[in-house]
Order: sequence, then structure tokens, then C-alpha cells
Amino acid sequence: MSRWAAQLCWSILGTYVAIAVGVWCGLWGQNYDLAGGPKWGGISSDYWLGTNLIGQDIFARSLTSVATALQTGLMVGGLATMAGALAGACAGYWRGRWPDRILLWLMGVIDAIPFVLLAAAIAYALGAQFIAVALAMILTLWVPVARLVRAETQKLRTMPYVESAQIIGVSPVLIILRHILPNTWHLLMAQGLLVMVAALKAEVVLSFLGIGSQASVSWGVMIAESTQEVASGRFNNFLAASIPLFGLVFVLGSLADFFQSRRAGDSRASGPMQA
Amino acid sequence: MLEKTNRDGQLLRRVLLATLGMTVLLGCEDRAPEQTPQLKVYRHAMDQATVDLDPAAAATIYSTFVVNNVYDTLFMYKYLARPYALKPNLAATLPEVSADGLSYTIRLRRGVKFIDSPAFDNGQGREVTAADVVYSMMRHFDPATRSQGAWLWQGRIQGLDQWAAAGADYSKSVSGLELVDSHQLRIHLTRPYPQLPYTLANAFSAVVPKEAVDHFGREFSRNPVGSGPFELVSFDTSKAVLRANEGFRSVPVDLAEEGFDPAVHGELGIEAIAGRSPPFVDELEFHFVPESSARWAAFRRGEVDFTLAPNEVLDLTLAQTSPPQMAEELQTDYRMRVATEPAVLFNIFNMDSEGFGQHTDPLQNERQHALRCAIIAGFDWQQHNERFYFDLGEIFPGVIPPDVAEFDPNLSTDSVIRDVDYAKRLLAEHGWTAENLPLLTFGVPGSITQRNIFEQFRSFMLDIGYPRDKVVLQQFATFGDLNRAWKRSELPIINKGWGLDYPDAENILQLFYGPNRTPGSNDGNYQNDQYDLWYEKASVMQPGPERTELYRSMNRLLIDDCAAITGLSRTQVLMWNRRAIAYPDRAMVGGFYLRFVDVVED
Repeated sequence: MSRWAAQLCWSILGTYVAIAVGVWCGLWGQNYDLAGGPKWGGISSDYWLGTNLIGQDIFARSLTSVATALQTGLMVGGLATMAGALAGACAGYWRGRWPDRILLWLMGVIDAIPFVLLAAAIAYALGAQFIAVALAMILTLWVPVARLVRAETQKLRTMPYVESAQIIGVSPVLIILRHILPNTWHLLMAQGLLVMVAALKAEVVLSFLGIGSQASVSWGVMIAESTQEVASGRFNNFLAASIPLFGLVFVLGSLADFFQSRRAGDSRASGPMQA
Repeated sequence: MLEKTNRDGQLLRRVLLATLGMTVLLGCEDRAPEQTPQLKVYRHAMDQATVDLDPAAAATIYSTFVVNNVYDTLFMYKYLARPYALKPNLAATLPEVSADGLSYTIRLRRGVKFIDSPAFDNGQGREVTAADVVYSMMRHFDPATRSQGAWLWQGRIQGLDQWAAAGADYSKSVSGLELVDSHQLRIHLTRPYPQLPYTLANAFSAVVPKEAVDHFGREFSRNPVGSGPFELVSFDTSKAVLRANEGFRSVPVDLAEEGFDPAVHGELGIEAIAGRSPPFVDELEFHFVPESSARWAAFRRGEVDFTLAPNEVLDLTLAQTSPPQMAEELQTDYRMRVATEPAVLFNIFNMDSEGFGQHTDPLQNERQHALRCAIIAGFDWQQHNERFYFDLGEIFPGVIPPDVAEFDPNLSTDSVIRDVDYAKRLLAEHGWTAENLPLLTFGVPGSITQRNIFEQFRSFMLDIGYPRDKVVLQQFATFGDLNRAWKRSELPIINKGWGLDYPDAENILQLFYGPNRTPGSNDGNYQNDQYDLWYEKASVMQPGPERTELYRSMNRLLIDDCAAITGLSRTQVLMWNRRAIAYPDRAMVGGFYLRFVDVVED
């Protein structure tokens, strides 16, 4: 990916973040749940993207959905990546020993269950609140990160600087935190973005199925609403949800590619990063 | 490689020539044209599959529709009369009721036979007798039957519950089911039960032969042996095919008796069936198509003759909603009927819940009464009807719907007209503020429509001053989970619909009878001694002006007590192909109409 394309992606992502911050600060999208408009109202100065079945403002709902998506993506992406990185580094560092065996068994168990099904089951069991939905995704999405970091750690632990640290008696925890994890930074950035994408899509699917967060609105809810509308030629809800969803997923995916390509370039140029 | 291709080509040419030759020879054969008679077939689309054809399991409308057409019930509903009215079916006349209301004497038609079946000794259907009726009722109480319909007569018929408790031995008689002779029985009740004749028009009461139940065992649910107008040909998860029962009794249609009204039915061509004996079609097909868009597409392609118009196409289907009128481009091919469901949609307050219910302290009780009344005043039935039911639903005060005879057309409609100012004033006068209003949890099953219903409800509550964070949604994975929460009295408001099992307001009024509190049918745990007194008095009375007045008094009491946000009867847009002469009905009490359907070819 070229630098200008990456800058464009960052700009678009920045716009999404600005929209979300505006919603969190109460600047816009606050009346997404008021049913004051006409049924399936068209585009107007009051309702920029029209209204849904019960007269809610589709534009306000789409803005609030940006906040829901980023809230989910950032929280799940950040925490799942951190959890996966730590677990993967521990497993890789103590390869073949009990921490590795336990973590591999746990990852195998989680991998054996389809992701959305597992997330849905956890979300349903925990009560379909935002925290429950996020927790359900974190509990499942740390696994691919951990697998990658484990493989990378196995490679890094044979590096001379790691072996030197071991010889001079640096504790394994410090070696992991100071010498191994910083060298997986590009990997974690790319993986973190991909986890965000997975979390966004999972949140949409769970909300579509009615087991997403019940306290707010989401693109999944809007798409679910639109299933009753497209048959009669009403696409406002569907487009107002699917286009921003597509944009955000595309941008995050492109940035993940960008980090991966940078890492590949760095690898070709100078080998693994040194701490 | 080239040689092989040439050989393949030669072989192909030979096969083609041989095929062509055979075709020519067959084409030249002097064959008489086949004389296949043109069958009259009516194809009825349903939104769910029938899974069990045993009358003891006919708990859903999908089973009811098939069961009512392959079996006979003692009574049935008149084809066209509304409100629904009973008429004899397998019975020769309506029942004779003793003066004390405790005994019902029922005479059966003579000469009615079950269809031929290997279940019978010689494979030929035998005559239906009163003993079959008695057996069919007794088997509901036999644990081996796993009946879903025993509640109809539980504790009502002398000796029947005791017979079940003693082991359900069919060689022993039940004192309350007296066989007067081979074609006459007398039912003795433990207490007056004026709704008994309705229960004998329910598909649960369909008459089955013991030989068939014994012969087919578990497979009886897929091998119906009845005396109804049709018999089953095939049955799977996508379709049930029935053909006319050739031995069905001759009962010429008396249109006046069936409730024919030229103003209502005159345009449908129904006069054509007058004096003829049903069934009028050779085959009746039920197509089970759960996906609404697929069902609509099948209807538009002419693959089925009847469907419910799905909500998502209603605005394309209807040119206008008041009065409902079909879009012009559809009128050449289809007919339409907008039918009110004999059902009530309401939100019942849980009188046991903190903050909303009845309270022992009179002052607090008055505050909570005011809160309920304010919520009722804040609810906008007109908007609810417009948004979710295309303005086709019928809004009415109280719980007695317009489709039953006891409906009071003169009842004030104040309780269904939104008045936000009044609601706010009530809250303020009784000391309710955003800080002290109780949490209002709204439970729904997990579907987007239900979520929309909640969001609209929350919007109404925001308008009267309820804080956003105090009107919360609780979604349940299934309706069963939600129902369990209601039964455990966990939710302050019970938003439900109640479809009538029989066209008598008692079926709805019992939902508020104190002794029926949860886990009984009184989900709202409503308790009012005066109401209970009136209910007990009315429940043993035969239909009449005095009983109607009691029903209406109970209805008014519920409104005064602000016991529920009520009510609306949903409507369904029934559409059928013009080739079918019919007056369709989708209600639980319907299904009988299919024997009266005729088909005219273009």
C-alpha cells in the first residue's frame, strides 16, 4: 500500500473517530431512540436519511452506530490483542512446558467452537449488555493473536540478545516484556486491527440476531430492521448501516495490510527489530 | 488422442440417431389421447408446518386446519356468520342442556362412517358412534396420549379426572360420559360450564376410532382415520395433500343458515355453492412455507391459491387502508379480505411488582394506581396501530374484543386515547418524579420487531417524563423463556397477545380472575374481590343479556383499575386467487371453511 493511500485510510478512520467522539460528548446522535418522525419518512431537512418504521431518525442512528462500532472495536481489539500477546509470548517462551501446554489446550478448545456461535452463547449467558458482548468477543478473539505471537516468540527467543539476557539472569517476565513483545509490535498492530475488524463484524452479527448490546443502537440492528423494508423498496436503513460498516472494515483491513507490508519490508531490509 | 475423439464422435452420432429414430417411432404410434380428468385442486399456503395430525396434539392453528378437515367434531362454526356461531356437525342438533346446566345431551347423525383403513377388521370404515366420542374425550386424560387438550375438560366432567388417576382403564366407564344409546350421549358436569359446546367444536375434540389409535400406535399422528370431508393422501414437512372423502355425508349448504350476507359476501360468488354438499374440490393441498417472501412469491406465481399478505408488502398490496382496498393491479387476479383476529393485544401490569402493582397501604396503592393510569394515558395506540399494523388493527377499550358477542360498542374510548398532559399531571399530583419512578423493564423475545415495539414504548414513556435509563429492554432468546419470566412474576409489565380458544369473552376475562394468578393464566396477578365475584357468577351462566352485562361490568372494572394498557385486535390481510370461491378465515376457530371452498377454472 502506498503512503498516500495509508494517509487516506488514516484520515477516514479519523473521521469515524471524530463522529464517535461527538456522540460520546453528546454533540450529535443523542436522539437516535426517539420515535417522533413519520413512519418510513423520506429524506428531508429534519431527517437527512429519512426515518425507520417507528419514525426514528436513521441518520442519528447511523452516527450512534459509529460510536457503538468503535467502542466495541477499540475495547475488544485492544484487550484481545493484549491478552493474546501476553498469552502467546508466555506460550512461546516456555514452549513445550506446562504454560504452553495449558494455553495450547485452551486455544484448541476455543478454536474448536465456531467463533460467532461461541460469542453468541457467552453474550446470551451474560445477559446481552455491552460489557457482556465485548467480553464474549475478547474471550474468543485473543486466540489468533496468541497463536501468531507464540510462533514469533519461538523465533525471537533464539536471538542472541534474548540469550544474552537469559545468561545475565534477567527474569523471564522482563525478557518477555522488554525484549520479545516490543519486537512483535508490527505484528500486533496488524493483528490488533484485524481483531477490531472481527469484533466489528461480530458485533453486527450479534446485534442482527438480537443478542447484541440492548442499551444502544448498532448497524446490526439497523440491518435487521431493513430486512423488513427492502422487499418494499426502502433501502435507507440498509444503506445507512452497510456503507459505513463497509467503509470502516475496509479502512481497518487496509491499515492492517499496511502494517504487514511494512513489517515485511523491514524484515527484508534489516531482519528482526532489536530492542 | 485424435483417434479416440473420432471414435467418441461416431458413438455420439449413433446414439443421437437411435434416439431420433425411437422418438419418430413413438411419435407415429397410434395412441388414444389420455382421458385424465381435470381435478379441482385448492392450494392453501401456511406460514408454519403441521407436525402432528393427532387431534390430541392439535394445539396450533397449523394442526387445527388439517385436523378439522380430516376429522369430525360434534359442532363447528358457521361458515360466514360473525360473530362466530356454532352449528351441528357430527351432532344432529345443538345439545340439549338440563335446567341446572349440568347435563348436555347430544345426538349424533346416523350413517356417518370413518374412512376405509387397515385399522378396521375388513379394511372398511365403520359407522361413527357415541362410544367413539366418549373414547376420544377419555384418551385426552390417558397419560399415554400426552394430550395437549385435556385442559378443556379438566375438573369439569364428572369422574373423568378420577378415571385418569385410577390408571386410565378404557374398560371402565366414566360417570360423566354417559352412553344413552349408540348415537346419543349425555355429558354430566361437575359444575355448569356454558362453554362446553365450544370445546366440542375445537380440533382437540375431533372424533377418532380406537382401532386406528391401537393399530398405528405412535404413527397415528401421521395416519389420520377420520370421518371428515377429506382424507389424507400424503404428508411431509413441506406439504400435506388431502383428497375429498367420497363417503362424506350429504349436507347441502343452506347459505342463510351459514350467515350469508349479500352486503358482505355478495361479491365473492359464494351463491354458487348453495344447495350443494361439500366438499367441492377434489384435492386440498396445504403448502408449508415459513419464509414470508417465498410464500408471497409462490402466491404471485400462482403456485398457491391462498396466502396471508406479509407485512413487508402490505403497502404495495393495499391502495388504501381505510377502508382497506387492494391495489388496482392486483384486483384482476386476486380477492382480499381484511379479517380482525379474535384476539387481544395488551400490556398487563404485574400487580405483584414493586412500584406498579396493588399495594396494601391505601395511599401507596393510590399512587401506584395513578402511575399505571399515567402509563396507559401515555401509550399511543393509534401510532402503534399505524406503525406495526398498517392502521388495520381495531383499537378498543378494555379486554373484550369486537369479534365476540359480548363486546360493548358503547363503551367510552377515553382509555385508548393518548393524553400526555393528563399523564404528566397524574404523575405530578401523586409525587412521581424522574428520581423516584420505578424501573420499567420491558421483556420481549429476541426479534427486531419486538425490539422496535420496545423502542416505541420507551419513546412514549419518555414523552410523559420517564427517564430513558429507567425504561429498559430485556430480551429473551425464545418466547418460552419470556413466558417463564412472566410465570415467575419477574417483569413489571406483560406485553402479550391472547387469541381466543372459543368465541366467548370468558376466555379472556379468566386472565384476570384472582385464583388464576401465576403460574396460572392470570399473569398480571390481578386481584379484585368484586371482579372475582362477578366472574364466578358469570362463568356458570348460559349466554344471555344478564351474563353479557356481568362481562361488561368486569371489563369496566379492569379499565377503572388501570390493570392493563389495552387493547387492539390485529387484522390479517387474507388474499386468494379469484379462481377460488371462498371466504377464508385464519383464526383458531377457523379451518372449517375449507370444505366450502370451490374452484372455478378460467
